[in-house]
Amino acid sequence: MPYESSPSPVAPISTSRFWTVGISIAIALVVMVGLAFIHPEIANWLIGGAVVVAASAWILNVQSPSVATLPETSGAPIERSADPMTAELLDRVFEALDDPVLIISGGEPDDIAGRRVVMANKAARDLLRIQSQGALLVQVIREPGVLEAVDEALFGGVSRTTDYATGGQRDRRWRAWTRPLGGGEGKGQGSLALVILRDETDARRTEMMRVDFLANASHELRTPLASLSGFIETLKGHARDDVAARDRFLDIMSAQADRMGRLVADLLSLSRIELNEHIPPSGRVDLDRAASDVVDAVSVLTQEKQINVVVDQGEARASISGDRDEILQVVQNLLDNAVKYSAKGGTVEISVRSDLSFDEAWASRMPGATRLPLVTPDRAVGVLYAAVTVRDHGPGMAREHLPRLTERFYRVEGQKSGERQGTGLGLAIVKHIINRHQGGLVVESAPGLGAAFTAWFPMVVERRDVRTTA
Amino acid sequence: MNQHTVKAYGDELNQITAEVARMGGLAEAQVSDAIDSVARRDVALARAVVDRDLKLDALQRDIERKAIRLIALRQPVASDLRRTLGAMKMASDLERTGDLAKNIAKRALILAEAEPMQPLTRSIERMGRLVSTRLRDVLDAYTASELDRAVAVWQTDDEVDEHYNAMFRELLTYMMGDPRTIGACTHLLFMAKNLERIGDHATNIAETVHYEITGDDMVGERPRALPGAEDETSTPNLTTNSH
Repeated sequence: MPYESSPSPVAPISTSRFWTVGISIAIALVVMVGLAFIHPEIANWLIGGAVVVAASAWILNVQSPSVATLPETSGAPIERSADPMTAELLDRVFEALDDPVLIISGGEPDDIAGRRVVMANKAARDLLRIQSQGALLVQVIREPGVLEAVDEALFGGVSRTTDYATGGQRDRRWRAWTRPLGGGEGKGQGSLALVILRDETDARRTEMMRVDFLANASHELRTPLASLSGFIETLKGHARDDVAARDRFLDIMSAQADRMGRLVADLLSLSRIELNEHIPPSGRVDLDRAASDVVDAVSVLTQEKQINVVVDQGEARASISGDRDEILQVVQNLLDNAVKYSAKGGTVEISVRSDLSFDEAWASRMPGATRLPLVTPDRAVGVLYAAVTVRDHGPGMAREHLPRLTERFYRVEGQKSGERQGTGLGLAIVKHIINRHQGGLVVESAPGLGAAFTAWFPMVVERRDVRTTA
Repeated sequence: MNQHTVKAYGDELNQITAEVARMGGLAEAQVSDAIDSVARRDVALARAVVDRDLKLDALQRDIERKAIRLIALRQPVASDLRRTLGAMKMASDLERTGDLAKNIAKRALILAEAEPMQPLTRSIERMGRLVSTRLRDVLDAYTASELDRAVAVWQTDDEVDEHYNAMFRELLTYMMGDPRTIGACTHLLFMAKNLERIGDHATNIAETVHYEITGDDMVGERPRALPGAEDETSTPNLTTNSH
């Protein structure tokens, strides 16, 4: 998208020329008519002269604008237009750049509506959702720091880098480079500035993650470690020869060691998922198959507790774009929880639905219960979703616990998750995976009614191809 | 955008819209900086937030003056009138948002003198993120004139309330457990309340955007927090209906 070549430099000049022509002819005629009155004998000569003056003035003035304005209007792009190939290539390169790039025009310094986006490449249009050329700058970037930096580039000729974060659930860190491009001399009318944005989220995130991981891990590992060392001390001391006590202690110790192992595994997988959170998944998964695979995998556990798992799948294949292992982990964690909190001999229902709109996907599935979205993706146009709902008939949770469920190590007070203790990280992992897949998570629960968790993911667009190949 | 015969008229309208968007950006930054100053115990950042509030006030006055001038000189009708009035309404909502953010920053300054309370400031941070997402979404809806986004913000108003109620209970538990924390916890409670109010202003803005685009008020039931928690005297939701 090239500059819109503005006709403004030409228009006022040609009208002013028109006036000069008119006035000079008029003056010449007045002088000559005056002379003709004073000396009637040379009147014929004078008429001839007047015609010559007028004609020459006309010719000179009409031709000159085209000669004079040509270098003015096409000052910079003149060498480009000499080689249209290069110009077109430059345009394509600009379009293809991975980082969002914008060119901003100035206007008057005190008029915020004067800053407009003259050019934006594809990355910028997608990121900032720029619909039309010449959009107001503040409509696409509101960050005060960046706006200031743009002003400095436009009117002060200063280059700067500005760091900023777009708030929200998927917090992203950006760095904005602003450079003056010069352009119009004198008054700000044509001055331009370049803005380049770069995503710095990953660099910051890695750093944050290390700090968080250390804090969480050390805190959560301390309890089982303390109990281990306590038992070791007892075994070394007076329980050395007590066979019954030794066996019991060793059982407890092995359970604690298992717990520590699970905790470390969960923490590692959580930090791995978090690192990938901003990289869109590339694979393709059938949500209904994933669900039945997981049901098979936990069948040992469910038989042990005599829990009846009811699987309900729609007719259509629910193909979503996603990482297979991660999707399996989501279903697994949700099902694990449901089994954990179900009483012996209870029922757990798992259902898969496909081709849902945004509103259908996050609609209520458990009337009468408190419903709270834990992860909500950005609304996208024309995207269909597939949802998996896991419903248990356990004790349920009171409303005040719901907002904190995906918090790390959060546990609902006064509830026992059975002998197979959880790590408190299951739903945190689910949340991060869903975030990465641009999906959503809704919980519905009420005390005594059990709980239903619904995870929903955007479906693969070309569904027909999948059906034939699958 | 519809064309006006007088070009200056269109320019003036655009300018008001642009000023509101800029003010929105500033308010957004104030809220997220205020939350950061609590989470990181950053005294300098908190001071900066307090100082910058003056700018928001000035912008609000400026927008109001421009809007009144436009109404007086151009007699806007239909969508232009709604745009102008909407800008005035939004400016006052954003100004209040800025005040609340300033208040959070002031409390952050006081909290920075006390012992760190990690788990509680985490909760504030989480609630703050949610509120600033809503603010961002509704301002995006405004600048892009997207009705769906505005309606989505309006419909998910109860999320913030849920967070607020959870936070309220959490703080009560802390205060009962250790009376020495009552001072700090009270400040955190007010912060949570302020965040909840900011969420309400975002909802107001969503209503304004809806009105501006369609000319109608939002109709239909907004999903309220279910009854049950409401009838307890400890539920702090009762004070939210002040506007």
